Amino acid sequence: MDRETLVKLEQLNQLSLTSQEQDEVLAFFAAREADWEALAAIDTENIERMVHVRPMTNVLREDVASQPFDREDLLVQAPESMDGYWQVPQVL
Amino acid sequence: MTAYETVIGLEVHIELATNSKIFCSCTNGSDADPNTHVCPACCGMPGMLPVANREVINLGMTAGMMLNCDINRTTTFDKKSYYYPDLPASYQTTQWFAPVAVNGHVTIETPEGPKDIRIKQIHMEEDAGKLVHDNLTFTTLVDFNRTSVPLIEIVSQPDLRNADEVEAYLERLRTLLRFAKVSGARMEKGTMRADVNLSVRPAGSQELGVRTEMKNMASIAAIRRAIEFETARHIDAIENGTEELVQETRGWNDDAGTSFSMRTKETAGDYRYFPDPNIMPIVIDDEWFDRIKASLPQLPEEKLEHYMAEIGLSEYDASALTQSRAFCDCFEGAMAAGAAAKDAANWIITNCAGILNKRGMTSDELPVPGSALGQLIALVDGGKLSSANGKRLLETLFDVAERGEAIPEDIAAFAETEGLLNSSDTGELEAVVAAVIAADPETAQAYRDGREKALNPLFGACMQQLKGKCDTQVLRELLIAELNKG
Repeated sequence: MDRETLVKLEQLNQLSLTSQEQDEVLAFFAAREADWEALAAIDTENIERMVHVRPMTNVLREDVASQPFDREDLLVQAPESMDGYWQVPQVL
Repeated sequence: MTAYETVIGLEVHIELATNSKIFCSCTNGSDADPNTHVCPACCGMPGMLPVANREVINLGMTAGMMLNCDINRTTTFDKKSYYYPDLPASYQTTQWFAPVAVNGHVTIETPEGPKDIRIKQIHMEEDAGKLVHDNLTFTTLVDFNRTSVPLIEIVSQPDLRNADEVEAYLERLRTLLRFAKVSGARMEKGTMRADVNLSVRPAGSQELGVRTEMKNMASIAAIRRAIEFETARHIDAIENGTEELVQETRGWNDDAGTSFSMRTKETAGDYRYFPDPNIMPIVIDDEWFDRIKASLPQLPEEKLEHYMAEIGLSEYDASALTQSRAFCDCFEGAMAAGAAAKDAANWIITNCAGILNKRGMTSDELPVPGSALGQLIALVDGGKLSSANGKRLLETLFDVAERGEAIPEDIAAFAETEGLLNSSDTGELEAVVAAVIAADPETAQAYRDGREKALNPLFGACMQQLKGKCDTQVLRELLIAELNKG
């Protein structure tokens, strides 16, 4: 992990780290560099992709619609709301 | 002067015709008041777990088979991370590593003959919410009704070369998906939207040019204009250096007829796809695969051929019916209920289509089943229902469906309840005939004097009094007999 990659990840995740926080994150990754390299060294040629860690498949539900939640109960969770909408800082 | 070739690939989003959303049981219907079809799962509340809707998998497989794809027998969902207020979980659940269908093709007609457009993949995913800009508060309002509505995205290879081919491809997709009842696929309703990936290169070159993507195009006419504009812009940039072409997402302003830069396009790595650990893999066994395969409809062109060669319809009638799966179902249902093919075709093409048109509905929204239409036609043919009242009855059946009620099983009983059946009481007919002749002796005498056309106003007056509820042949015979009595 280099600083340029970290800055890119910050942008993608809409984060803004101080230079001290950046240093801490970079140190965290640097300390584990050997672990990553050990993992990368494993030969995975001809190994089938593991689809899931649990041996379960086809956990599905039937296509039946049920009563929705009460809107007001959900809007309580919104930082701001207006006229039945979640209200967020302008993005358009 | 260099000749150029436009290279186009489409990503087409189709909203699936399910009852409920893809990962929760909220209603799939986003036209309601904001945030009235939502729950903690589709609002991205922490700790809520998705459970995939079986019908979405069925429809994904159906679409794949209709587009000649290979079906992945193990298909999985993945998380695509990006931040935007219409995506409450901050990731979209989609398919990246093992989409439901791959490697298909759609055949379109071109002036040079049939052409296969290769399908790279079809993946299933959830839709995002809707954003509304509020001009008074300068904030953005978010409606999550559409969040988690099921979509398939059909990704073509860059095999399209001009706006005509794109139009033919989209129309063919729409027809196939409507016939298979995967979706209404209506661009004007937003249930079919296309992203257009376009680049330009010198004709004959194998190397692709710089690609731009125009997102969420919602009409074929706008797509045509956007393709023409973008092609000209790319050629101008290449030939005259008017600007540096960059890989980016662009918007299309249809009023101004121009595209505009929205953002530099993310790469796949930026989305940090990873398998969704909350949704177990879906394994499609032979029984499931075969069941979906057996449910596929005849293609429209196969039905056309069948209707003409084996049922004996004219090309005009067969073409009109095979524009719509609902028309075909109604036609076949009416015949199964005993209607003659030509009668059934006429009632659908003329009367049903007329009512649909008047109500601003599409042919795929025909609410009258073939069994009901077949019974209605039998009542008219049997002289129990006048043709005019048959049309009234049909209109009434549309009203029933519009109110959300079930179409009655017994159409004769329904027609009787509605007071539309012909009177079987000849005494009533004779009384009306006598009254009409007595009220207009001059016209009656004119008929007796040999003016045959004088029968028409008398017949019309009888029909008016009977409110159209009679066997017209019986009435005519009674009227003539009464006049001849002198």
